[in-house]
Amino acid sequence: MKKRGIGIGCAWYGTGYGNGFPDVSSAFVEIHDDGSATVLTGAVDVGQGSNSIYAQIAAEELGLESQDICVYSADTDVTPDSGTTAATRQTYNTGNAVLKAVRQAKSRLLDYAAREFSCPTIEGIELKAGYIGIKGDPSRRMPLADMVFKARLHGQRLISAESSTARSTPVDLETGQGAPYWPYAFGSQMAEVEVDTETGMVSVLKVVAVHDVGKAINPTQVEAQIAGGVAQGLGYALLEELELQEGRIKNPALSSYLIPTALDVPNIEAFFVEEAEETGPFGAKGLGEPAMLPTVAAVINAIDDAVGVRITSLPATPEKILHALAVKKEELAKK
Amino acid sequence: MNTTVVGSRVLREDAWGKVFGQTKFPADVNLPDQIYGVVVRSPYPHARVREISITQAMEMPGVVAVLSAKDVPHNSHGVLFRDQPVLADYIRMVGDPVAVVGAETLEIARAAAKLVQVDYELMPAVFDPEEAMLPEVLPLHPELCPTNILYHMPIRRGAMDKGWALADVVIEQDYRTQHIDHAFLQPEALLAYVDERGHMVVQTATQYAHYDRGEIAHALGLRFSQVQVKTLAVGGAFGGREDISLQIIAALMALKTLRPVKMENTREESFYSHSKRHPMRMHYKTGASKDGKLVAMEAKIIGDAGAYASWSINVLRKSAVHATGPYEIPNVSIDSYAVFTNNPFSGAMRGFGAAQTVLAYESQMDLLAKELKISPLEIRLRNHFRVGSTTATGQVLTSSVPLDQCLAKIAPYLQKGEDT
Repeated sequence: MKKRGIGIGCAWYGTGYGNGFPDVSSAFVEIHDDGSATVLTGAVDVGQGSNSIYAQIAAEELGLESQDICVYSADTDVTPDSGTTAATRQTYNTGNAVLKAVRQAKSRLLDYAAREFSCPTIEGIELKAGYIGIKGDPSRRMPLADMVFKARLHGQRLISAESSTARSTPVDLETGQGAPYWPYAFGSQMAEVEVDTETGMVSVLKVVAVHDVGKAINPTQVEAQIAGGVAQGLGYALLEELELQEGRIKNPALSSYLIPTALDVPNIEAFFVEEAEETGPFGAKGLGEPAMLPTVAAVINAIDDAVGVRITSLPATPEKILHALAVKKEELAKK
Repeated sequence: MNTTVVGSRVLREDAWGKVFGQTKFPADVNLPDQIYGVVVRSPYPHARVREISITQAMEMPGVVAVLSAKDVPHNSHGVLFRDQPVLADYIRMVGDPVAVVGAETLEIARAAAKLVQVDYELMPAVFDPEEAMLPEVLPLHPELCPTNILYHMPIRRGAMDKGWALADVVIEQDYRTQHIDHAFLQPEALLAYVDERGHMVVQTATQYAHYDRGEIAHALGLRFSQVQVKTLAVGGAFGGREDISLQIIAALMALKTLRPVKMENTREESFYSHSKRHPMRMHYKTGASKDGKLVAMEAKIIGDAGAYASWSINVLRKSAVHATGPYEIPNVSIDSYAVFTNNPFSGAMRGFGAAQTVLAYESQMDLLAKELKISPLEIRLRNHFRVGSTTATGQVLTSSVPLDQCLAKIAPYLQKGEDT
């Protein structure tokens, strides 16, 4: 018989290195004559799309389009140290560093523009849709490129170097008390499974995942990050296990160490919740690791809901499920 | 906040190159005159290397060099402590690199690697973390800690006796998680060479180019300013590219031979060249009052650090800090341990110690709900963190805790189809 079950998993995750370790990212920025800009940062884009995120952050701040920004990263001869691409820290930490650096480079342009526009404060100047002009007076604006060109002709150089450091403190060694991480990210997922009581096989039919991202800088990338996390979580819950014999790996191949394939990954509905994290760039916090956390729990709880057995060791293989079903049957028979 | 570019579905700049196969991964870059490096790895989990004989390997036509521990200027690297050898003469795990062969072709390098003769003095090994914790077991890193317990983190909050007195329902259960591999699709690969400036250049896929640069410079005795680490496209990482894998070995070979060195792991080699997710044994005892509020929790978490420290201290700290789940529990006692064994070393992997505890704390929530005869959703709604909540470490969550919104969005989906 194939029995259906649903389960919920919730998780939380303190992002950043934490525990008072200096969690610093840096960025260099230059705004060019034609109004385009280059961002240099040490942050490695490991395929999650951080370079695109920095382009969006810089473009937003300069009133440009994403393609007007060149992001070059992770070359030690050129880029400043931005820490590891780990700990769910690059959107938040390096994103903050990029934003600070862009603002610094931009501030020189604003100073110059304020004088050009006879505006006594840079607060009266805005960058929007490729133009720089007076807030509230659309008739007084010029293409950003023209203003940058003028500023540079007068010897201004719109370059900057900035760093951003996340906040955290070491916990007490005896009581563990302290504020070790900030910010925390939250998420909740549900899984619907079908358990075959004859074979012990679990099919995951659906996963719905809702994650707290502060602000989705790129919703497509958020959804992709969630989908990848769910797939990895399913592997952790149901398939993956390094088999060791006296420290030797018995299955060092993808034919025997099983990871989910497209056929194992169900329909994933990915949602995000936006409640701005005030310390993050445009309110954003990281999502990389949280995306995979609740999946295990949702699946294990769904298996229990389906067939009434509690799997307490990962992965939940067919053997473990059949064994648990047999034990349960025996116990019922005794009663 | 009103934004236009932030919040939009901008197409990634790297998308087209990946779709059309134009993106350069480290396996795709080559230089004329390059040699190929292959690592000789230990088949034993705990041993001393008495002697390495390279004569036979060197006699093979096309072999350029065979290097071992004695050829490494400063033979160590590591993210927290430099406890991991570049090329080992003391083996702590199967797969520890013992020698590297450089040859004109990959085939010759692989064949010659089989001819490197290593005389091992075998030592007793320990694979069970609880056994490794016993004081009589030989410590694997006496220079770091006198026993195999690398790290213990206690969390104490409230008063346990008071907490258990308030509990109407108590669930006590053991949980276990397994060793897993990052299984990124692109095995480790790199190109290392001394360029026209006399600088060491390493083109690779890593999670932290600046860290790699520092470790290469340290091991080879170079200035940071003489080492360039350039990151090419990364085919997945998930924490498995945080520790050094082949970077120093390849740079060493390039420095010794002054030839560009190409290295690329097979899948099997890849399994042995990076960390694993910590397997954990977790004992949980959680109590709730009749009204479905959590009142007390005790947890003991033992993480198998394997053969080297890597990030184990930080990982087990993260396990402890997150052990309650996103729930308010006034009385908490948690102890987490990181323990050395002769298993493959454990390190960073997506979730970093907070992934394992989810199995335990979320299973406990469902088991408690069942006892209390309330729904899994309901018990979570009654206990989850919100703005102003205090965590087990005493941290007050001052803003941005929208778990209520996450659960509200999930709630309508909590329906299942028919059995068949």
